[in-house]
Order: sequence, then structure tokens, then C-alpha cells
Amino acid sequence: MPLNIDFQQILLHLLNFVILFAILYFFLYGPVKKFMDDRTEQYKRMDEKARKDAEDAASAKSEYETRLAEVGKEIDKEKKAARRSIAEQTEKSLYAAKREAERIIDQANKKAETDRERIIEQAGEDIADMVADATEKLVLKSSASESYDSFLEAALGGERNE
Amino acid sequence: MPKEKRKRFFIITALAIIVLTILSALARPPAHHEAIGEVMRDAVLHETNKISLLGLLDVNPGLIAAFTVTGIVLVFSVIARIFVIPRFKTVPGRFQLLLESAVGFFEDLAKSNSPHRNTFLGSYVFAAGFYIFVSTLFELIGFQAVTTNGTIISLPAPLSDINGAIMLGCLSYLVILSGGIAQNGIRGVGLALKEFSLPVSMSFRMFGALLSGALVTEMVYHYTHLSYGLPVIVGVLFTLLHALIQAYVLTMLTSLFYGEVTEPKEKHKK
Repeated sequence: MPLNIDFQQILLHLLNFVILFAILYFFLYGPVKKFMDDRTEQYKRMDEKARKDAEDAASAKSEYETRLAEVGKEIDKEKKAARRSIAEQTEKSLYAAKREAERIIDQANKKAETDRERIIEQAGEDIADMVADATEKLVLKSSASESYDSFLEAALGGERNE
Repeated sequence: MPKEKRKRFFIITALAIIVLTILSALARPPAHHEAIGEVMRDAVLHETNKISLLGLLDVNPGLIAAFTVTGIVLVFSVIARIFVIPRFKTVPGRFQLLLESAVGFFEDLAKSNSPHRNTFLGSYVFAAGFYIFVSTLFELIGFQAVTTNGTIISLPAPLSDINGAIMLGCLSYLVILSGGIAQNGIRGVGLALKEFSLPVSMSFRMFGALLSGALVTEMVYHYTHLSYGLPVIVGVLFTLLHALIQAYVLTMLTSLFYGEVTEPKEKHKK
């Protein structure tokens, strides 16, 4: 053969290369590639997880913001209701106080009227008594000393009886 | 480095080169058993220097070199598998980075050139690239072997043996052909056969490149006065450079043609 080409040696070279290929595949290429693939997969998973976490965080943030807005509305609503309730309560209290005041005033008026009537009546009686006393004094002015004497007698008589 | 120090360094280096050149010119050349022409002829044809393979067969030194390279790779791979790979970290160290870069480079080469089918291609181009690179650098070690004539030679790069280069070229073509069949059936066979010159071109390109390296190295080491200083450039840098280039060229061509024959046929709208 030209250039000393030998098929037997070509086949021996081939056998040698097949052995070398198997060695490299099983001891170097395969394990290193597996490690690299696993690491890539791990980074992909981490990336995926980070993306998912970021999405979850964004979603949670959005949810919290929505909820916060809802809570704000709820607070406003509650505030309005409380204000309304306070206003109603105040109105009721004012009304009740007004009623009470009216009742007290009415009662006081009635009492004042009764007292006035009683005082007038009492005054009438006193006046009558004064008039009677005065009349009596005028009528009995002359016999006052006598009367005094009789009084003393009556008083002394009483002490003795006791 | 300060300017004065740099100047002194250059002067000393230049003087050393001049002295070594004079000494090498005056030195008595060693008695060679073979003339340079014979050495070069044997490097190409492997007619005289054969090595016995376990007493069964006389083979070219390249084949013994190939088996030695496989042994070295086996030891390296087993050590890496047992002691290094289980200790791989998420943030890689230097050696881990080197291994990952090598695997990642060939995997990317396969994926970018053959996006439709690349699982087997990735592992094949990794093995082929690794083999070409390591076996080319192997000639730097200068492993000694005894020929059937009783002379001692240093083992050459396995792929500077034409049989090794033909094997790798034809195997790469077979891989391309099998990829075409697996993906496209008969059409894949047609696409692969269209490039019928590929195994020959790939084989002889590699053989030529590695042989030229071997011949230059042989020539440099044959003459004593070329053996000072020059081997650093020729022996190390050139070998390293063409190890990288040949590993890249064969794997890139294989991936490219593999991608071409495994491309799915586009269905034309009627």
C-alpha cells in the first residue's frame, strides 16, 4: 500500500480510540457534564423560585394594597356611621334633656303656683287673723286689764290643779 | 521592570545566545546512525523503525504511542473521577474550571453547529479533540522505545502515523454518516455521501499537519547547532499551537458536517 498504509494497524488504532472514547465518556465527559447540567438545573430552579417569590411578593403587595384601600374605605364608612350615630345620640340626648328641662320647669312652675296659692291663702288667713286680732283689740281695749287679770287667774288655777 | 534592569536583561540574554551559538558551531556533531533524509523518510513511511507489539506483531511507533496515550488518559481520568469530580464545587476552582471549560467548549461546539442532534456528537468531539491535543503534546515527553532493529527512538505523536490519521478521519466521517442516517434516513446518507472527499481530506490534513511538526522537530534535533534555544520555540510553542489548531479543526469540521446532514428537511408549502 502507498505510504505504508496498513488496515490491521488502522483497526488497532480504531480499537485504541474506542477504548479512549469509552474512558473519556465514562470517567470525564459524562460526570463533568452531569455536574454542569445539575448546576444549571439548580440555578434554573433557584431562578424560577426567585421569580415565583418575586411574583408572590408582588401579588401579596397588590393584595395588601387592595385590602388596605378596602380597610381605608371601611374605616371611612365606620367613621361616617360613628359620626352619624354620635349625632343621633347627641340629638336624642339633647331632646331628652330638653324634655327633662321642660318637665322640671313645668314642675317648678306648678310648685311655684301651688306655693303662691298656698302663700296667698296663708296670707289671707293671716290677714284675717290680724284683722280679727286688731278688731278684738279694738273691741276689748277697755277691758284689757281685766282680761289680764282673768288670764293670770286661769293660769294660776291650772298650776294648782296639777 | 525598570528601564535599566530591562536593558541589562536583554544584553545578558543576547550575549548568552551568541555564546551558545558559537559553542554549538564549534561543537563536534554527534555520530548519527541515520542521515536526516532517512530519518525523515522513516518518519513518513515507517519502513525501517518498527516496534514489536507484545511479540505478536511489528507495528509503527505511532500505534505504540497511541496505546501509551490511552494509558495516560486512563490514569488521568480515573484519578480525576475518583479524587477531583466528587469534590466539585458550585463555584469552581482552577482545575475544575479547566475540565468544565473543556467539556463546555466541545458541548457548545456540537450544539452550535448541530442544534437538532448533538448528544453523541458532543461526547465524540470531546474525545477526538482531547485525543488529538494530548497525543500531539505527547511527542514533547520523548518516551523512549526500542525498535525491532535494536535502536532507541522517542515515540512520535500517534496521529503523525498515517494509519492513526486515516482512522480518525474515516471514523469522523462514519460518525457524520450515522448521524445523517439516524436523523434523516436515506436523505441523510445522500447528504453525507455528497461529501465523499471528506474522510480523505480530514485524514490527510491531520497527517500532514502533524507530520510537518514531527519533521521540523526531527530536523531541529538532528543538527547540534539548532538544538540551542530553538527547541523552546519549535518543540514547545509550535507543538502546543498545532495541537490546539488540529484539535479545533477536526472537531469543528466534524460538528459542521454533522450539523449539515442532521438538519431536518423543511416541508415546503404547496
